[in-house]
Amino acid sequence: MNGRALAALVRKDILIELRGREVVPSMAVFVGAAFVLFRFGLGGANLAGGARAATGMLWVAIVFTSLLGLARAFAHERESRVWDGLLAAPVDRALLWLARACSTCLFLIAVQAVALPVFWLFFLQEGPAPSYPVLVAAVLLADVGIACLGSLLAGLASSVRAREVLLPALYLPFAIPVVLAAVRVTTDTISPQTSGFGTLERLGFLALYDTVFALLGWALFEYVVED
Amino acid sequence: MAHTAARLDRATAAALVAAVLMPAAVALIFFYVPSDADQGYSQRIFYFHVPIALTTYTLFAWGAVNAARYLWTGREALDLQSYVPMHLGVIFGSLTLITGSIWAHISWGTWWDWGSRELNTFLIIFLFYCAYFMLRFSVEPGERRSRYSAVYALLGVGLIPLSVLAVRLAQDALHPIVFRSNGINMDGSMFLTFLVALAAMLSLAVSMYQVEMRGKRIDERLAQLRRLAREAAA
Repeated sequence: MNGRALAALVRKDILIELRGREVVPSMAVFVGAAFVLFRFGLGGANLAGGARAATGMLWVAIVFTSLLGLARAFAHERESRVWDGLLAAPVDRALLWLARACSTCLFLIAVQAVALPVFWLFFLQEGPAPSYPVLVAAVLLADVGIACLGSLLAGLASSVRAREVLLPALYLPFAIPVVLAAVRVTTDTISPQTSGFGTLERLGFLALYDTVFALLGWALFEYVVED
Repeated sequence: MAHTAARLDRATAAALVAAVLMPAAVALIFFYVPSDADQGYSQRIFYFHVPIALTTYTLFAWGAVNAARYLWTGREALDLQSYVPMHLGVIFGSLTLITGSIWAHISWGTWWDWGSRELNTFLIIFLFYCAYFMLRFSVEPGERRSRYSAVYALLGVGLIPLSVLAVRLAQDALHPIVFRSNGINMDGSMFLTFLVALAAMLSLAVSMYQVEMRGKRIDERLAQLRRLAREAAA
């Protein structure tokens, strides 16, 4: 694996984002607005002491926000014909995927650095709260999985007509296992269940998810950009 | 021409096997097998639901294997051989959800049970395969469509075990567990009925596969002939 090429590719994505500020600010505004909508939609009374319901919403919001970022994942490659240059570069195709996954993951972390404090402010100030280290660990593990899989799917959708509609349809079935595991791991720290699996097993599941889709992304991306 | 005749035989043979096994399975289910001690007569839907579900998984696995072979070899025929099982899998998958929902209504009094591992796992997988179709029909027919479909089908191979695991990790059991790791929780006549029903469903799937493949091949030849006719006229 070519570390310098990877660093250059990730740096390119970050520079584009720093100059254009296209993705991260929109995602941050989106997730904030989603929290407000959830708060008003479900009403304060339904959420009183309901940190469990709140963490469920947090994960749904994270999934939808990540979709927003993924929709723009290969936008420059497509619109500004960056692909021509990238594909001519003497690097492994899988490296293009890995670079995109890394930069997507960094963007997600940047958005969540804003979203999690807002989430705390809106939902967790009063009443019981989940264990924060577990929440952060789950968020980071989920980010890696979302970025690995999402970058592959964004590559698939990027050259297809109706890509804006297609990407959510392709991606959401894969988000269900993440949400299932992540919601349980965070809510169980509020009111631990005596039966069933523990925190470590569920975090381990998220790590397994990351590994599976990292391997599949690495192996399959070359078939996505063969054109 | 000889090639067509050989294929016709295979399709007819599969249809014949299905035509024998299907009535046999229905007869066994309604007239031979004893009623379940707990759930009574209505438990017989088990002999439809479980074989249909297993057939669905088999079809998806078959489609995924052919998708992998397509990416590996690039042989054009494998694309259809991957797509057709997926298509049939979605049909059988819909039947699984419907029969599962009926069974849930009979035994638990609710049309959908969010506590049931199998129903929920199946729902995730079903959604995945619906997305497969959306992808396939958003790309123009050709090599790229085959490639994209194969890539997405292979992602499903990662998703299926992860969904099973995730649903297990997230929930507590309610669904009846018939097959345990320490053996089968059925008596001889029930197991025999189950096996015949499973064989009937699988042979039905095989014959449907043969019919659909033949239809697709005829479509392709027709398109080819039309192209030739247009070229000749021009």
